[in-house]
Amino acid sequence: MTDSIILVEDLDHVYMKNTPLEHQALYSVNMTVARGECVAIIGHTGSGKSTLIQHLNGLQRPQKGRVVIDGLDLSQRKLDVRALRRKVGLVFQNPEDQIFEKLVGDDIAYGPLKQGLSIKEVTERAKWAMEVVGLSFADMKDRETFALSGGEKRKVALAGVLALRPEILVLDEPTAGLDPCSRKDLLERIRYLNQSENLTVVFVSHNMEEVAYLAHRVYVMANGRVVCEGTPRHVFGNADILHKYHIGMPETVEILHRLKRKGYAVNPEAYEVQETVQEILSILPAAGR
Amino acid sequence: MSDEREPLIRVEHVSFGYTMNDKRTLPVLRDISFEVRRGEYLAIIGHNGSGKSTLAKHLNGLLVPQQGNVWVAGMNTKDKGLRKEIRKCVGMVFQHPDNQIVATIVEDDVAFGLENIGVPADEMRQRVDEALQMVGMFAFRHRPPHHLSGGQKQRIAISGILAMRPACIVLDEATSMLDSYGRQDILRVMRALHQQGMTIVTVTHHMSEVVEADRVIVMEAGRIVMEGTPRDVFQQQERLHELQLDIPDASRISQAVHRVVPAFSGTLIRTDEVVEEVENMHLRTLEVHGG
Amino acid sequence: MASSFELTRNITVGQYLPTGSIIHRLDPRCKLAAFVILILGIAFCGTYGSNVLALILCTALFPLARIPIRYGLSGVKPAIPFILILAILQLLFYGKGFGTGGQTYFHYGFVTITSDSLRLVVVSAMRFVEVIFLSSVLTLSTSTTELTHGMEHLLMPLRKVGFPVHAFALIITIAVRFVPTFALEMEKMMKAQASRGAEFGTGSWWRIVQRTKDMFPIIIPLFNVALKRAEDLILAMEARCYTPTDERTTYKRYHASAKDVFAVVTSLVIVAVLFAIPV
Repeated sequence: MTDSIILVEDLDHVYMKNTPLEHQALYSVNMTVARGECVAIIGHTGSGKSTLIQHLNGLQRPQKGRVVIDGLDLSQRKLDVRALRRKVGLVFQNPEDQIFEKLVGDDIAYGPLKQGLSIKEVTERAKWAMEVVGLSFADMKDRETFALSGGEKRKVALAGVLALRPEILVLDEPTAGLDPCSRKDLLERIRYLNQSENLTVVFVSHNMEEVAYLAHRVYVMANGRVVCEGTPRHVFGNADILHKYHIGMPETVEILHRLKRKGYAVNPEAYEVQETVQEILSILPAAGR
Repeated sequence: MSDEREPLIRVEHVSFGYTMNDKRTLPVLRDISFEVRRGEYLAIIGHNGSGKSTLAKHLNGLLVPQQGNVWVAGMNTKDKGLRKEIRKCVGMVFQHPDNQIVATIVEDDVAFGLENIGVPADEMRQRVDEALQMVGMFAFRHRPPHHLSGGQKQRIAISGILAMRPACIVLDEATSMLDSYGRQDILRVMRALHQQGMTIVTVTHHMSEVVEADRVIVMEAGRIVMEGTPRDVFQQQERLHELQLDIPDASRISQAVHRVVPAFSGTLIRTDEVVEEVENMHLRTLEVHGG
Repeated sequence: MASSFELTRNITVGQYLPTGSIIHRLDPRCKLAAFVILILGIAFCGTYGSNVLALILCTALFPLARIPIRYGLSGVKPAIPFILILAILQLLFYGKGFGTGGQTYFHYGFVTITSDSLRLVVVSAMRFVEVIFLSSVLTLSTSTTELTHGMEHLLMPLRKVGFPVHAFALIITIAVRFVPTFALEMEKMMKAQASRGAEFGTGSWWRIVQRTKDMFPIIIPLFNVALKRAEDLILAMEARCYTPTDERTTYKRYHASAKDVFAVVTSLVIVAVLFAIPV
């Protein structure tokens, strides 16, 4: 693909190399992400997904294989890591843990200030970042960070990365531990960023409803390898892979797969609730209506 | 020491608040009353800040009510002398798998509670092995916990509670940090324990876990606002929506199909029930046509 | 290309290499006792002969524990600068104090090198290596759990004078238990802040204030997380009936066998031999 903004080729990674505790986390991983795309990576703890996403902003450098981000080749020794990190914003799991300033505005401004931007520019960016995650700049910028709710803290942390104005946003488990309401809100914000602000989004998730809602394409990882790749429809349609690697599936998909196994002619790719309802209606006996 | 028909835990008009500066208190629980029956599987749900975790910590005396009383198997949690007995009776598993493991080796951690209540060494050995087998972690007994996955760590935490042979286990958002596989693991263990007669109270915001319960309590702003079987509670889709809570997709599908085909039950909450209902519809039409 | 963030790689304390050797299988109480005896012996042996022997014996522990010697030597590497600096300082300044004994090899201004001061320098360097070898074998062959258990048992007599041995052992256990957790936490924090443009340790070393300030985005959150963990841990311990003052029973029990007694006796004999070597 020529317009791919992220290109990962034959990537290997070994932790604790040359020690008795050596352990290989990635085996020949390939991935491409097009500009403006939203890609999900799913898989269990230890499947290698965290290691993979840490390659995207240069926290890990390729030991073998290639990683190219928007023309920047990470194998190059003299790579400008700061330029790379400006391009790729990485939001860790439980990012609220990294908040260290007393006031919300100061914490969000930390990244842009480090870039040496003018105060005016920094303020503008902080303002944009806060509004885009749904925190009112006027009300919230002088609030104390420790008194915020869990959902608000996570938004502050997300804004802190967005204020760097990255072109690619990488999120590790963006909604883990949030309640359904904060989760839904955050997902809508991420979707908005992807669709309206044209941000390329890569996210790791265990929550299949979330994957179904956000992702254009899905990579399934297991034991350091990509074992399946495709649209959510394609991946959710593949019950064998989901079972084999103990990947949970949305309830809708589970129902459709069970029905299919019992011999009913349903399309297991119809994972949205309304579609599933239509599928079920289509197989109910006419006399029942 | 207590009547078998007596509820295991009785919460009576409990109010509780966290003290802020200048003697101001932030009310978290307001006049809460309910019972946990022996052998029951109870789910407590509510969005963040509704007071559900604070309530859970009242069930074994980690917090004591400022007003009202909590009785565990006839013992008042305010009685300091009974605290150990109460905690032996009601064990608790917390949210973060990492923060509740004390020891550097799995079996030592499981033994920690037993050491605290003075169980003799020989009996301890046997109880630790048993408890590890119950959660399927016996093979890991000599491992250091930091090499285990979140779900495995939570199973260790559960087994540390089981070793103390409690009548009830309280799970305080114990699955919220786990991946789907880990969560399924924990649910499987809890299901098996419940079948063996263990009383279970789970505080959660995963609706798929609520489906497992016999009864649900819904909390909002420190009060109980809904109570009933999961089936009854999930029927009230709009009320739950107002409370910022979700319903399982299976329930949503059941209701949507029911609106179009009234013969299809609208009160289903589990995926297998939906599949069964489709089959039943076919069977019923066969009977009508065949007979 | 090694990642600059891989902190766990550099932590060798508590790095346990289970090879199942005879050294690994020793009763931790006896192993620890033998270790203390040998360390004390080395500390008080000041002759060339005894230290050559001690160095040979300490090196021999590696094959006995089935640990590659190369791995043991890698523990000495970071200590070399210290050993060298110590040696130079001793060489330059200790001569005068030993002026009465031994031959004078060199004298210029305030620098005097005598046979005694030279011996001190060489012996100190050897002792350093011996202690590193011994400690490496001990930690590589004993899990932290066994170490803390062993320590708890050895300290038990102190209970008679009111020392809270159980509580002390528990504190050590918990501290050890959270070392890898915090190493991972810190690694994650550094990566997260680096992703936001933070830079660590790139400023010139004389700008100490700036370099300290650079660490704030890590230290403050790490402190918060540690507090949160401690709070959680206290709750979890309380929920499992822990009260610091109450009597507790212990799960782990050890039975010292003949080989364990033999290990302690051997170390006593070795120390006696070391003392007996005259030069």
